[in-house]
Amino acid sequence: MRLLPALHWPSIRGRARADAGPLLLVVLVVAAVSLLAAAVPPLLRGTADDAAREAVREHPDESAVRVDARWEDDYGPSGGRVRNDRLARDVEDLGGQAEATLDAGLRDALQPPVTTVTSISLVLTDGSVQRHFQLDYLRSGADGPAVTWLAGRAPGATREGNPEIPLNGSPWEVQVGLSETAAAALKMRPGDHIPLEDEQRNKYNVKVSGVFRPVDPRDPAWRLVPSALRPVAGLDGAGTTRLGGLLSASSLPDARLAFLQDQLRRTVWFSAEPDRLTWESAQRLAATVATLKAESGTSAERDTSLKWQTQLDGVLREVQAQVDAAYGQASVLLIAVLAGAVLVLLLAADLLMRRRSPALIAARQRGASLPGIAGELLIESLVVAVPAAALGIAVAFAVAGDAALPWVVPVASCGILAGPAFGTVAAARGTRDRRTPANRAARLFAQRTAQLRRAALDAAVVLAAVGAIVSLRQRGVGDSALPAAAPALAVIAATLLLVRLMPVVTGVALRQSLRSRRPLAVFGAAQAAATASRVLPLLVLTTTTALASFAVTLSATTGSGLADGAWRTVGADARLDVAPDETGSTAALAAKIAAAPGVTHVVAGDISGGVRVVTNDTSLTPNLVIVDAAAFHRLLASTPLPDAPGLDQLGKGGRDGIPVLVRGSLHPGLSLRLYLEDDQDSGASGGYSTAENAIKLTAVGAAPAIDGMDDVVVIDAAALPGTPDTIWATGPGAARAIDAVAASGHPVVRDAVLAARRSAPLTAGLRALDLAAAGTLLALGMLGFALGAAAGAPARWRTLARLRTLGLRTRDTRRVAAGELLPPVLVAAVSGPLLGVLLVRLTLGPLSLRLITAQSADPPAVVPWWLLGVASIVLLLTLVAVVVAEAAVRRRRGLGDVLRAGGD
Amino acid sequence: MTAPLLTVRGVHRTFGSGAAAVHALRDISFEVEPGTMVALVGRSGSGKTTLLNVIGGLDRPDSGEVTVDGVEVTGLDEDGLSRLRRERVSYVFQNFGLIPVLSAAENVGVPLRLARAEPKEREHRVELLLELVGLADHARQRPGELSGGQQQRVAIARALAASPRLLIADEPTGQLDAETGLSVMALIRGIVESEGVTALVSTHDPVMMALADRVVRIADGQLLP
Repeated sequence: MRLLPALHWPSIRGRARADAGPLLLVVLVVAAVSLLAAAVPPLLRGTADDAAREAVREHPDESAVRVDARWEDDYGPSGGRVRNDRLARDVEDLGGQAEATLDAGLRDALQPPVTTVTSISLVLTDGSVQRHFQLDYLRSGADGPAVTWLAGRAPGATREGNPEIPLNGSPWEVQVGLSETAAAALKMRPGDHIPLEDEQRNKYNVKVSGVFRPVDPRDPAWRLVPSALRPVAGLDGAGTTRLGGLLSASSLPDARLAFLQDQLRRTVWFSAEPDRLTWESAQRLAATVATLKAESGTSAERDTSLKWQTQLDGVLREVQAQVDAAYGQASVLLIAVLAGAVLVLLLAADLLMRRRSPALIAARQRGASLPGIAGELLIESLVVAVPAAALGIAVAFAVAGDAALPWVVPVASCGILAGPAFGTVAAARGTRDRRTPANRAARLFAQRTAQLRRAALDAAVVLAAVGAIVSLRQRGVGDSALPAAAPALAVIAATLLLVRLMPVVTGVALRQSLRSRRPLAVFGAAQAAATASRVLPLLVLTTTTALASFAVTLSATTGSGLADGAWRTVGADARLDVAPDETGSTAALAAKIAAAPGVTHVVAGDISGGVRVVTNDTSLTPNLVIVDAAAFHRLLASTPLPDAPGLDQLGKGGRDGIPVLVRGSLHPGLSLRLYLEDDQDSGASGGYSTAENAIKLTAVGAAPAIDGMDDVVVIDAAALPGTPDTIWATGPGAARAIDAVAASGHPVVRDAVLAARRSAPLTAGLRALDLAAAGTLLALGMLGFALGAAAGAPARWRTLARLRTLGLRTRDTRRVAAGELLPPVLVAAVSGPLLGVLLVRLTLGPLSLRLITAQSADPPAVVPWWLLGVASIVLLLTLVAVVVAEAAVRRRRGLGDVLRAGGD
Repeated sequence: MTAPLLTVRGVHRTFGSGAAAVHALRDISFEVEPGTMVALVGRSGSGKTTLLNVIGGLDRPDSGEVTVDGVEVTGLDEDGLSRLRRERVSYVFQNFGLIPVLSAAENVGVPLRLARAEPKEREHRVELLLELVGLADHARQRPGELSGGQQQRVAIARALAASPRLLIADEPTGQLDAETGLSVMALIRGIVESEGVTALVSTHDPVMMALADRVVRIADGQLLP
């Protein structure tokens, strides 16, 4: 018994040769879409990695993993403290112990540990003001950080061995090295003692052993304790300066004795290595540290076990949201492209089936089995689709360094299976015994059954689409495929409904044209009505056009959202956040900026964060903005930012308190009480009655968005004078003018903010994907249209040839052909963009576009009508090109050939 | 003596070239009187369809001349041929060639639409022709709802709609059973007599030949004496 069907190899070769064109198209579609589907996920992963690296680079300290451990008790048998001359080794062991806790993958994502031992900050009692001193022991790498001793020597031990010293003795001497900068600042030399005491005025005996210069000032250890190299301002409060003394392995045991248990802290630092960090390893690292933190959190308070800390999870949280949003959008776009490609491949299979149907039916009639026919067709499609998919995957691998194989499965499967399935079904149908019933009732029953089957299929697709949309709107894209497929399913469902309407619409058009006296209109409408029930061509064209419109609209909305986000972040063309010590000259700076060429509006304001406002029984801490309301209104009016008509109300005064505008948790109509910290002395209340230190406010309107702040209270500077610390400027010269005074603060330029956001890895990657998906879908639509036209071409031109025998002119045949092909193009050109725009409106929120555009709320959909118009024109031009090409091909065949009996 | 409606002189038609060349027509010459029905008889591949195509301007001969109703077909350009087919020559095909979404009446009216006939005139003419072919009661039915014989009758009515001088029918009974085929040939015969149309019908059925005024035999691209 034969298990495998007999294959006729000459037929396989002959069919492939005869249909080389359509098969080549299948190769192109499978290869191109496989490339896109396989390359995008790893590329996106790459952008996520880049985003994680960028976030870590921007927040190095928060991203570092820090491990603390308490000291072991060093009390000796006589109640004194015992010197431990192996202390430096113990500290080093702590680093090794912490490193061993992390798995190898995570260790690769971290820089080698840096171990620090730092003392409390001591006060210098040399007569200088607010100078502090800290003792530091640093260990990076094998014996780093290396230093060169310029004078004196490395700190040595005060006493060798492990003697026990009494608790109440005089301060234990400890030797430190000073950097040349610190030595110069302190005016000290080797052998000098540094006069130090703590807050309780306890004296410390610290002796300078030598003066050093770092071999490599970029050693990570110096970054962790910069005061060991140079004086650092502000670490111990406003106006303070901290200097450092370097301990050695020999002097560290003495430092342990010089300080109390809690005055010396030993820490191991693992800085994240951005270049080796990936999105995945960053997340694993944060999760591991969170687990270690939870496990060690309580015990480390009591014993010497390791206590883990990091803020990496916080750093990644914002990136996480953006990455999730980017993955969601990318999934949606990829599924859209896959849906378009699968439909085009089905259309190609339909074309092949139509071309081969007579030969397949003849082969079946001559005795070929259906499994044999299916096997022959499967061999052909395997030869065509598998290498094409492999080529796409290989190029994706070359481009992206990896390939997402699961994403290739739908398009490769369709390329392999659609042709054999369509061909086998055609052969089976063409040779089955079932005949059309002669009985009218039976015919009607069969017709109704077929209609019911179609309706059930349509209903299933519509239900799936509704379910997917609901799922997307309720839960976002997430990890499930159904919400990500929502736009594609919704478009397919809507197009199916349009397809079912097409026969009705073309029937009406035909009836109308029959009343006209223009024969071409009648023939065109008749041809269109004859082909109106074909599902695939319209489905492909409308689906791809709608999804391309969706992608283009998403891209335009993102672009507009980024611009809007930059406006809201800066509040003008440029802004200067005046340095705290320069706020006294804010007015002069504003005047200077206003005088610069190309500056149209300048406003200075005072922004205070976290002021206390009480309404009813609720206390809030909004940002208080004190600004010249009228000038600020004029400035806002010169920008695309939303108008704030309420600003005009602020200058009018009020009986129940100062009129203010509010935003965020506060809303107009509220009576508020404002409490200003430490302002009673400065007279900031402006002479208003401040019963119980509160200023009465009345919210008279909505405040404009200012610098992306959530809760805001805006007060006119005439009502409550402030100390301006922010300058907004608009006009073409604003950025240059603000940059010119950059030394007085921190300039924020809108164009720069926008450029940075546009070029951010995730944003740039997504926008590129938007456009790539739109282009691919449009190309698939054009290809689908050409394939659909090719499938119907024989019947179309046979009818046109018959009309020519009746006297239709050759040039008019093209018009009639265009008339037949026009309805699906018109439907796609009109409904495609509308469906795309509707989809964007439905899915903007769930796709979390605001996270990509850095806006506080979902951006409104921005419809690039001109671009959608261009897409529609491209479709119409494709129609013209197809008709002209078809006419040229048919012209080569004589009219007589076309009309031979049975021929086409 | 009446001038011939159709004159064919020295027509040659070859497909392909070199050793693979097929001489479909070789020096064909004959004339057809107006108002007659001529049966063109020959086996499959004898050149019947090629000759009909050349006469009707659907194909061009390599050499020779064809004149229909005084118009030299072989010298016409595309527009001239379209005009010829609209005004003087019409066809009936083996597979009917009706437009499926149009009713029988609308199909018959197609040549009249091309000729820009007035709607009233068109409707009147369609009515007459459907009556002539015995399908007045089926005017609103679509081709799919008619039998093969009925469809061929509609095709004949359509061919007559623009009042052609020459009706070319290529195996008009090829897809019909014998009885229906005979009735269709009888219809053409009747039309030749009633309308004064000249008909050139290809067939290989001896029964059909009996209805013709004259039989022209063709074999291997040459007319037989």
